[in-house]
Amino acid sequence: MRFRSTTTLLFAVLLTATATRADDARPTVESISERVMCICGCVATLNHCPHPESECSMRAEMTKLIKTQIAGGKTEEAILQDFVERYGVKVLAAPPGKGFNLAAWVLPGLGLILGLACVMVIVRRWRQPSAVTASATPRPDPKVLAAVEEEMKRSGLGIRD
Amino acid sequence: MNQVGNVGLIAALAFAVYGIVAGAVGGKLRSLRVVRSAERSALAFFVLITLAVVALEAQIMSNDFHNAYVAAHSNRDLPTYYKFAVLWAGQEGSLLFWTWLLSIYGGAAVLLNRRKNRQLIPYVVAILMATGTFFAGITFFVANPFSELSVVTAAGTQPFAPVDGNGLNPLLQYHSMVIHPPMLYLGYVGFVVPFAFAMAALITRQLGDNWIRTTRRWTMVPWMFLGVGILLGGRWAYSVLGWGGYWGWDPVENASLLPWLSGTAFLHSVMIQEKRGMLKVWNIVLVITTFFLCIFGTFLTRSGIVSSVHAFAQSNIGPVFAVFLGILLFFSVSLLFLRLEYLKSENKLDSMVSRESGFLFNNWILLAAVFAVLWGTIFPVISKAVQDVTVTVGAPYFNRVAIPIGLLLLFLTGAGPLLAWRKTSFQSLKRNFTLPLAVAVVVGAILFFSGVRHFYAWMSLFLSAFVAVCILQEFYKGARTRQQTGGEHFLQAIYNLTMFNTRRYGGYVIHLGMVLLFVGFAGQAFQTEKKGLMQQGDELRVKDYVLRCRSIETGDTPNYAFQRLTLDVSKDGRALGTLEPDRRFFKASQQPTSRVAIRSALSEDLYTVLAGQDPDTNKAIVEVFVNPLVAWVWIGGFVVFLGTLLAMVPSRVERQMAEIRQAQEEAVRAHDAI
Repeated sequence: MRFRSTTTLLFAVLLTATATRADDARPTVESISERVMCICGCVATLNHCPHPESECSMRAEMTKLIKTQIAGGKTEEAILQDFVERYGVKVLAAPPGKGFNLAAWVLPGLGLILGLACVMVIVRRWRQPSAVTASATPRPDPKVLAAVEEEMKRSGLGIRD
Repeated sequence: MNQVGNVGLIAALAFAVYGIVAGAVGGKLRSLRVVRSAERSALAFFVLITLAVVALEAQIMSNDFHNAYVAAHSNRDLPTYYKFAVLWAGQEGSLLFWTWLLSIYGGAAVLLNRRKNRQLIPYVVAILMATGTFFAGITFFVANPFSELSVVTAAGTQPFAPVDGNGLNPLLQYHSMVIHPPMLYLGYVGFVVPFAFAMAALITRQLGDNWIRTTRRWTMVPWMFLGVGILLGGRWAYSVLGWGGYWGWDPVENASLLPWLSGTAFLHSVMIQEKRGMLKVWNIVLVITTFFLCIFGTFLTRSGIVSSVHAFAQSNIGPVFAVFLGILLFFSVSLLFLRLEYLKSENKLDSMVSRESGFLFNNWILLAAVFAVLWGTIFPVISKAVQDVTVTVGAPYFNRVAIPIGLLLLFLTGAGPLLAWRKTSFQSLKRNFTLPLAVAVVVGAILFFSGVRHFYAWMSLFLSAFVAVCILQEFYKGARTRQQTGGEHFLQAIYNLTMFNTRRYGGYVIHLGMVLLFVGFAGQAFQTEKKGLMQQGDELRVKDYVLRCRSIETGDTPNYAFQRLTLDVSKDGRALGTLEPDRRFFKASQQPTSRVAIRSALSEDLYTVLAGQDPDTNKAIVEVFVNPLVAWVWIGGFVVFLGTLLAMVPSRVERQMAEIRQAQEEAVRAHDAI
């Protein structure tokens, strides 16, 4: 019982942690660079773009834009919104949690919970003593068993433990 | 040579088709002669695909640019060891490589089962050859690596060879890239063998634990290769892409992780079937899922339906792969439904707190991880289809969704093995969990008061301590028992204990490797990054490190021109040596890349990148990262590798059981012959 409570508690703590995110009031170039994609075609977030700023005009331009907006006193969400307006929603490294895109966020959690429910149902079902199975499965005749064992001994096949 | 390669491919294709028919007919008619003929067709398939591979490698090595593939992916000044890698650098060559590895696995499966699993083997060969037919067919008809370059002149179409080739993609010119793709492919391809055995077991209704016992090692081998491949891919990304990390949740990375996760679930749930005769349907489902995900991963990497930083071999072969995936799913699931009555569980669960339920929860978490990663990976495609909006699903999404699941899995890694089969008493739980929990609480408190406040990193280290003690405690208890009963020296007792049950203790070593990996992952939360402009004599301070620019030099090799920065590194006034990040401009492909320089220690890596030249000041742009605990990722991966090898070594008990089984099979064969 205690084991189950500990597991449930651990699970709850982890889920809570997933649902909450540290919201930094003061945006930085780093905090925004990891939430937007570089649009040079490298398929990486701005902070992970494999091209150096000196050779990637988009990375340099986007980084400059972030710096300007931070200097202008904008919040992180406002800066991200501005990026969406400029480049489209694909510039965000993760889909926004509204409309159809909410499915991206909800389904993994739902899958986890449904999976747990399935496991619990299976475990409960498997734990119930099944009268049908017990009566439907014929017990082997002891005489037949003894004859089989005798035959296996004589043929040198041995008996499996 | 193009003709030799094409003849090899088409002949292999013919033998593969024959292998399907002969395997199925031989199995149905129980004709030893036809079955042996099917087996020989699998060996012929291997020989002929090998011929095609040798033909292509010969063209690559001899700079035969008449071949379009060689001209597109190689050049004269490419070093020889990278020329080997040209084989898998592009779509056509890598498909041939895939087919070759499949032929090796197929040949090995035939040769190692000449006296075993005789009822299954005809259908195993048929399934392997069906997969071989698909890959040899696609290589010959759709993405042929032996097409010739030609030009149309007044005199007609003439063969043509450029003076030099386009060269290998610079990002692939890194030593781990010579070994990373073969490892990954050995993983992807290898899961075909357990799949073939599972299908053969369904066809023949031989659904006892024989196919499970046979396929355990055939699953561990690709699982190990896939793991090593994933890790080497991470090492490549860390050393070449220059952003200071090793895992970016890129679709191609995710595609390799998916079958590894479901394969892990299978390797665990298989134990329940062996011990208790339960989860028979589930095990078949996991084998199908794993093989499906292998092909799906290959499809994802090559079809171009999702964008990836790792996709080096894209073309329009997507529809062909989609059809194959459909056939594969229809065939295997239909067969499973037809045989459901033979897959009934032999036992019931005795307790909620037992090893069996522990494995069920482990499978739940692993499959939840598969679903979460798969969903995130394909969500951009779904979004485009449903709302006609292109969205990106990148690292921020996966970090939020997958990390909690990973931590739950880490917890079960330690807790699961401490549960007893059938039922675990409260006293047993208390006895086994007290010490690990106490140590974890102490470690957690120390971390907290040392300033570790990042929740996931803290949780990861807390659980790592818990799991490590759980595992070490198991070794200690077992060795102590042997010491007391057999009078063995402690280290000798550990060795004998491990060799007595290599599967169990190899598994513990794998779990210990996973702990080290999570320790390494936790370090990512404390990365420090700094960027600066440098010229000779300039200094850059990052955390406790001081980097002084000793020189900036330029140079030239036949393959590339380079600019190299020499940095003297010191920490707290103590000289630590030099680092030489460089920037290369590859002549054949006309592309630049950065080559990072890393000073690696157990506590942290100092990671430097020469990111180019500032156009205004003409100074070198230097990016520096301090990455704590990264070395533990590679060490952990190596420990997982060693543990897997250990778990594959037959234990003393297993050897005795195998001898008994072989004697039984020989007796049955002798009886049948009479």
